[in-house]
Amino acid sequence: MTVLDLSTVEAPAAGTLPATRRRVLRRLLRNPLAVLGAVVVLIAVGAALLANVVAPYPYAQTDFSAALQPPSPEHWFGTDYLGRDMFSWVLYGLRVSVLVAVMSVGLSMALGVPLGLLAGYYGFLDPPVSRLTDTLLAFPFLILAVGLAAILGPSLATATIAIGIGQIPQVVRVTRGETLRLRGMDYVTAAIAGGASDTVVLRRHILPNAMNTLIVQATVAAPAAIIGEAVLSFLGLGVRPPTPSLGIMLASAQPFFRDGPWMAVFPGVAIVALTLALNLFGDGLRDAFDPQESRR
Amino acid sequence: MTLLRVDELTVRFRTEDGPVLAVDAASFDVAAEEVLALVGESGCGKSVTALALTRLLPRNATVAGTVTFDGTTLSALPESALREVRGRDVAYVFQEPMTSLNPVLTVGRQIGEVLRQHQKLHGAAARRRAIELLDLVGIPLPARRIGEYPHQLSGGMRQRVMIAMAVACRPRLLVADEPTTALDVTIQAGILDVLRDLRTEIGMAVLLITHDLGVVADIADRVVVMYAGRTIETAGAPALFARPSHPYTRGLLDAVPNPARHADGGLREIPGRVPVLADSPDACTFADRCGRADETCRRHRPDLSPGPAGHPVRCWHPLPVPEPAVPA
Repeated sequence: MTVLDLSTVEAPAAGTLPATRRRVLRRLLRNPLAVLGAVVVLIAVGAALLANVVAPYPYAQTDFSAALQPPSPEHWFGTDYLGRDMFSWVLYGLRVSVLVAVMSVGLSMALGVPLGLLAGYYGFLDPPVSRLTDTLLAFPFLILAVGLAAILGPSLATATIAIGIGQIPQVVRVTRGETLRLRGMDYVTAAIAGGASDTVVLRRHILPNAMNTLIVQATVAAPAAIIGEAVLSFLGLGVRPPTPSLGIMLASAQPFFRDGPWMAVFPGVAIVALTLALNLFGDGLRDAFDPQESRR
Repeated sequence: MTLLRVDELTVRFRTEDGPVLAVDAASFDVAAEEVLALVGESGCGKSVTALALTRLLPRNATVAGTVTFDGTTLSALPESALREVRGRDVAYVFQEPMTSLNPVLTVGRQIGEVLRQHQKLHGAAARRRAIELLDLVGIPLPARRIGEYPHQLSGGMRQRVMIAMAVACRPRLLVADEPTTALDVTIQAGILDVLRDLRTEIGMAVLLITHDLGVVADIADRVVVMYAGRTIETAGAPALFARPSHPYTRGLLDAVPNPARHADGGLREIPGRVPVLADSPDACTFADRCGRADETCRRHRPDLSPGPAGHPVRCWHPLPVPEPAVPA
């Protein structure tokens, strides 16, 4: 942190945006993979949110005269067995993916972060919370989500809740670790010595400094949630058929794999591209936040 | 008038290598508006004593003895009441200015936190007061500085900010734990000036923890010398420098770089190191490193009692008062 950092730290640092944040942005932009990831994520999210504007056809419009058409200028991604435009379908499917990712990550953060902060800060809360998260972490995330979704019943909301809850243990563990690390910082001791209450210490000193790690954690959790939603919907435990979902598209493509492979390929590629892009972006962000890491 | 009375303060830590006795029945007073220096080598219990005053020690510490501040027994106060005392009546400045400020909050916000906590100052009023405080500790362009982040400031500036935060509520006692150790010598003098000015301006007492006798000579009224958790000598600063009674104090003075003495052999170090004790031994803790030690020193615990120079010393064989002719 001493020798390596000097050149960047001493760079012109005036302005309202904290210089550290601009340094992170600069480092991020220097990483081509992270930029690629960010661009793909932005395009995918933008297309998903604007699906009703961008999509050339209403996603539910069937046209039996044009069923199972391969990709063409009229139907970029081809059509499915009911003659629905696959491109429009994928856009609306992405919208569901993004929605579930945002909501479930939001849910896991909203519950996991406070729990992690408390477990890390109050020693007496640590053993019960940690044992519980360790137990839950022993199950693979998808098993946990599938189990919860099976109990809650299939719908968009329950899929979101199942995925969100499934991700809580990971969030708790990361937050707890950060809290333990930050609690030993001199400025936390100094704040306590200045009369700061526990709430102030946690809210003003520990949480803001844990933010970088939590943002990275969110970018790791989002692709997992997208895959989780696709898996649940594929298994019939997530979104129900009238609602477009990439997982449902994959499931309905199964019988037609020989006659219309594009029905499976395009939704599959969409999932892979989005999750890969999110992971690349998340990795780039982690490296940009941590100068030592990025110089190896 | 006695502002702070520390009576038989004992601090033990439970560690993985067994118990450690960090402070062994330390007793001292700080008078109002006095600068008392707590002096000793690293590991002698100075910082632990300072933190123990308002119970800032980690959970593995057990503290015995009483700390009385302005008539209130701090050691008996519940945590919530103690929180009011911290920062308002007793404020701290720590050694590491580089890490003692929160990197994600602007300087103004951090000072504002303290003002909000204790004086219910918000918004523009807090901002005005923060600017005043930065001005008070000698930071140029305070109105601009309050919008800056700690990494934009130098070490000396950060330490000034720490002091500004500490004196934000006009505390009666400022505990400064090695406030200048991490700074350049040229910056040190400036920080000491700030402390000296604030002491008169606010009328606060300062408990200065340091191993730097140059700092002590510069600013302290009285000195308490600590060794291995025990207070071993207490005297007014001039008396201590002129007539040290404890061999350890003598050793500390000899270890100070002094150009005038360099001709005859240069620095003299004290052989050995501060022992880590599990329990309070019935002996002088300095005996193993002391040239004057005999069987008495190894078998019996010395008490803090008036020595040949007139001030209290914890030694079986205190040094005689030097002839007036001998230069100190």
